[in-house]
Amino acid sequence: MKIKLQHVLMLVALLALPFFTQEDRFLGFILGVTLLSVFWATGMNILYGFVGLMPLMFAAISGIAAYALLYFIAQWHIDFWQALPLATLFASLIGVLLGLPSIRLKGFYFTLCSLIIQSTITLAFIFFPTFTNGDTGINQISPPLWMGEPIKGFIFECILSVLAVTGIVLAYFIYNSQLGQRFIAIREDDVLAESLGISVFLNRVIAFFIVSLYAAIGGCFYATYIGFISPRSFDVLSSLNIWLFVAFGGKATIAGPVIGALLLAPLPFLLQSLDAYKDILSGVLIVLITLLMPGGIYGAYLAWRNSKK
Amino acid sequence: MSHLSSHPLLRVKELTLRFGGLYALNKINFEMHSGETLGMIGPNGSGKSSFVNVLTGQFTPLNGEMEFDHQSMLGKNCHQLVEMGLCRTYQSVRVFGNLSVQRNIDIAFLLLKKNGLTHEQYNHYLNWLKLRPVLHKLSKDITLFEQRKLELMMRLVLKPKLLMLDEPVGGLATSEVSEMIQLLNELKAYTSIFIIEHTMRVIKELADRVVVLIAGEKIADGPPAEIMKNKRVINEYLGSAHA
Repeated sequence: MKIKLQHVLMLVALLALPFFTQEDRFLGFILGVTLLSVFWATGMNILYGFVGLMPLMFAAISGIAAYALLYFIAQWHIDFWQALPLATLFASLIGVLLGLPSIRLKGFYFTLCSLIIQSTITLAFIFFPTFTNGDTGINQISPPLWMGEPIKGFIFECILSVLAVTGIVLAYFIYNSQLGQRFIAIREDDVLAESLGISVFLNRVIAFFIVSLYAAIGGCFYATYIGFISPRSFDVLSSLNIWLFVAFGGKATIAGPVIGALLLAPLPFLLQSLDAYKDILSGVLIVLITLLMPGGIYGAYLAWRNSKK
Repeated sequence: MSHLSSHPLLRVKELTLRFGGLYALNKINFEMHSGETLGMIGPNGSGKSSFVNVLTGQFTPLNGEMEFDHQSMLGKNCHQLVEMGLCRTYQSVRVFGNLSVQRNIDIAFLLLKKNGLTHEQYNHYLNWLKLRPVLHKLSKDITLFEQRKLELMMRLVLKPKLLMLDEPVGGLATSEVSEMIQLLNELKAYTSIFIIEHTMRVIKELADRVVVLIAGEKIADGPPAEIMKNKRVINEYLGSAHA
């Protein structure tokens, strides 16, 4: 496994980002959301890029984790750091359980099934107000405590940048491990992979579990960072947005989803005057990307570099 | 001969496979011993590929027993059978086209790394199949013949006890067919082989024994010379233009 200097520099730059927005709360907040997006996109890439399945129920799993976190904290009077692993594990197991029927499908059919699961869970968030407070959502979520002090602002963004970098490093190790090799074999040709002794089902479940962990951890931090969640925070559009980060940046690479999230996640905040057109814009982007750059920005760059050789 | 080695490597009893109202395989019985090279012939649609698909866990049979190396194969997945030592190739060539030849081989290695093919054996196979010069090419960019050899390489690193080849010379040029037959003859030293073919030429040169399948039924079983004289086989299969 080669560790390249430019990769390390990129990670250090990510870690340093909060220091540049320290003075400006608005920019700091945008950075926080962007770093969460980097973490989420990196996670989704493991299933979409490596294994070749497009998990549109991603945001639903984040949502389950976020609601579970708040429920556990309120019911059992535990703090954020104790509830985080519980909620994460809970949501990931639910995610895998919900995913089991769809995991045998592939390509378009898997995507369709995951879309249905996502829509159903969004509805469930609305119709079970005991846990979710329905469409009104839950506001004034208190931030996690550290040494008795609430974490917010600059410190929270530092934590999110550490989270994003950890997620990237983990994805890098998975990509280069035997597990990653199996994932890629399954993506390329699942029948052939099976005939070489690779259990397609088991490896897909493992990938699905890992991706659910990313979704869930991100969901827990999202809820406490923003301070407000509603079913809308975890609907189909959120899933599609994260997918767009991955596809726009470049699936199946480590850098791609990071680049995609860094470029696209801040846009809605910076173009707030265009709010009415936001969804149209992302729709147009989806179509353009699929047609013109199937490998995303980073994929196109890699292809250009290879052609120069 | 000890009792163990006289036990068949592969034993199939009353195997039946049905698709709706059609019997793809009807009460097939046969045995195969370790070290033997078995051929299976039959016209298109006679159930040859279905037979391999059932044996390698892709289809579930309606009835019957299957045993490989003293273990029942019923209910086992394709990948579990690979772990037991039963490998297969496909009728149309199947490699990871977007990955390099080296990575194709590495992926095949994933399962049995602990089982350890020695470095000498690995190098020997690589030289024998003449794959070394193309190791760094994408496997979709090498010739069909090289892809067929890559398929063999990927199975050999799995140390199979039995290798099922589904039309291994399909699509090859005449000169390459001879070379492939030569390779398969040498392959017998490393594993037992089961070959599906619909051309008698390949079977004649390779197989110790031939099973003839027509419309899902086994109509003959014996040495190639005997099969070629069999009245029923001649009438129903060899007499036709394709054989």
